[in-house]
Amino acid sequence: MSRLLIIDDEDHIRKLYKDYFTREGHQVVAVASGHEALEAAAGQKFDLAILDIELEETSGLEVLKDFKERHPELPIILNSAYSTYKSDFHTWIADAYIVKSSDLQPLRNKIREMVGA
Amino acid sequence: MLEHATMTPAGRTVALLRAQFDDSPLGVFLADSHGFIEYLNSSAAAVIGFDRIEEGYGSSLYDIESAMNCGLADAFGYILDGSIFQKKEYGCTNRHGHYAILNLICSPYREESGEIIGVLGIMQDVTDSSKRKAELEEAIFELSIMSQVSEALSSTADLEEVLKIILTGVTANQGLGFNRAFLFLVNESGDQLEGKIAIGPGSPEEAGQIWARLSKQQKTLKELLDDYSERENQSNYSLTSSIAGWKIPLSETSIFSEALSSGAGINVDAHQELSEKSVEILQRLSTSNLAIAPIVGKGKNLGIIVADNRITGKKISVSDVELLQTFANHTSVAIERSRLYDNLAAHAAELEVINRQLAESQEQIIRVEKMSVIGELTSSIAHELRNPLTVIGGFANLMITSGGNESCAEYLNIILSETKRTENVLHQVLDFSRASRTKTQEIDFNQLVTRTAELLPSKLKHRSKPPLIKVDNQPLAVWGNPDQLQHALLQFMLVASEELTDDCRLELSTCLNENAVRSIIGFIAAEDSRPKVIKVLKQIFGNNTGTQKLSVIVAGETIRYHGGNYGIEGAQDELPRIFIELPQYKGGYNEPTSDN
Repeated sequence: MSRLLIIDDEDHIRKLYKDYFTREGHQVVAVASGHEALEAAAGQKFDLAILDIELEETSGLEVLKDFKERHPELPIILNSAYSTYKSDFHTWIADAYIVKSSDLQPLRNKIREMVGA
Repeated sequence: MLEHATMTPAGRTVALLRAQFDDSPLGVFLADSHGFIEYLNSSAAAVIGFDRIEEGYGSSLYDIESAMNCGLADAFGYILDGSIFQKKEYGCTNRHGHYAILNLICSPYREESGEIIGVLGIMQDVTDSSKRKAELEEAIFELSIMSQVSEALSSTADLEEVLKIILTGVTANQGLGFNRAFLFLVNESGDQLEGKIAIGPGSPEEAGQIWARLSKQQKTLKELLDDYSERENQSNYSLTSSIAGWKIPLSETSIFSEALSSGAGINVDAHQELSEKSVEILQRLSTSNLAIAPIVGKGKNLGIIVADNRITGKKISVSDVELLQTFANHTSVAIERSRLYDNLAAHAAELEVINRQLAESQEQIIRVEKMSVIGELTSSIAHELRNPLTVIGGFANLMITSGGNESCAEYLNIILSETKRTENVLHQVLDFSRASRTKTQEIDFNQLVTRTAELLPSKLKHRSKPPLIKVDNQPLAVWGNPDQLQHALLQFMLVASEELTDDCRLELSTCLNENAVRSIIGFIAAEDSRPKVIKVLKQIFGNNTGTQKLSVIVAGETIRYHGGNYGIEGAQDELPRIFIELPQYKGGYNEPTSDN
């Protein structure tokens, strides 16, 4: 059973992902900001983080950098409605980049690939 | 006094005249009623040609007349009858054979009783002043010609008109009065003279006709020069054919090159020692005597005026050549001005073309900039829509996989399907907006079509035969955003391919049609597939944009924003073709400022 950390400022996205991936058999913690995410990661171990880029308080890319400095072992999937960030080299330290879609299969498959079924 | 009292009447007269006129600059003489000189002063003696006054005393007027031939002898009788005889500025010769111009007045000389006893004559040698007067008149005449010609020359900047006016001035009777005139101009590289235009009769018969006609008109030089119809009368310029296309290298020694190098007019006679080239020139012009005047402007040789009197055979004088040279000096300004005008007109035309191109490119840049703004706006909107769509579709999926009654599953499937469809639309719009950020630039259209065609197979949902590609041999360039144009072309190709049956194949070609670059998407289809192809194409590319696919609308607007056009074409009985047209790029655009 893998522990997933979802970081997205959209309430419904957090609920969707939590419900979906819980059903998939993962333990899911969903937070709304980078600050909350770092606090959560400091307190417990996660197997993978799914991080949105357009957050309210801080840019997801800043959060990505912080996580890589403090928790380099934690794989991070960037998950954004914007596909344009793919060409931004700041995103290249992430382990994967999945564009948001109503079809959650690509995200699900990537998670399975990275943490195992 | 006593001496006076003892004098004879004649003696008293002579004494009186001596006292009055001995020192007079006017020549004064007195002849008696028989015509014998009783008195003359030194001035009169000089005019008549006596070495000493005494030689004149007792001379007969008839003897003097035979030498001077001034009509005095014939008039003598009339004078004695009381008439006055006078001649003004009369040319005659004195006893020594010297030519002089005289003013002569002779009147009856009366004694105290009133009886005419002789003839008193007054002679004035006006040779010098007459000569000066003649020179002045000549100068006035020359100035008048120059003034009239200058006025006519200033009325036009057209080189051909200028040359015709010049030659009319040279040959008109009211002008310089030569029979024929030829005009040669130095070419641009300055190494040869080229025959341009000639005026004058080709034969004595023709001369008679032309001069008779002109004589009847009785026009002044100005009127003649202003007479447009006379200038345009082509029969006046039939002589031009004798020099048109004639090129004389200035490196060869000839009378023409000598005139140019000396910068002064020359009088050429066939009897002079002439170079071979000079002889050739005279032979070609069929003349034995001509005047050549170089036309020089600002130190630069412009050409020469050549004139002769071949018809009348009148010898060309030094003054004729001087006058022709003065005339040539006047005309250099007009020739330079007309050349400058031609250069300016050519530059103005070039600037107009460039200005038009700039205006077109400016419009295009504005259009493309608008496209970029639209692209950014749509990108922002599309991304904002993604999150809600993810939620809608994601929960619908969850509900479906959660189980539940069949009707809920059906509704949820519909929600999911429409969500996916909306996401596809977003993909198309986002692809377009991504393309908007690329710089506009010159694009090789053949390469663009080929590259786009290569993308096609990977984009098609079903297997289809790869398209046949036939690009034009010549390079075809367009200006625009290459990503946007590739996107647009790909959309057209995709739409055309996806709706067709497997046995159809696309044929892509490019060509140049006037100033437009064209891409044609043609179809190779079996006979029984044709109706479907026609129906599908007309549906997709129909005029009603409300029924057109979004991708076709977006692609079509991209083409239009690039100044192009698209549609379907083809005869009634053949498969329609999709055409995409863009303005051909010929260079001269500046790059816009926006980029990624």
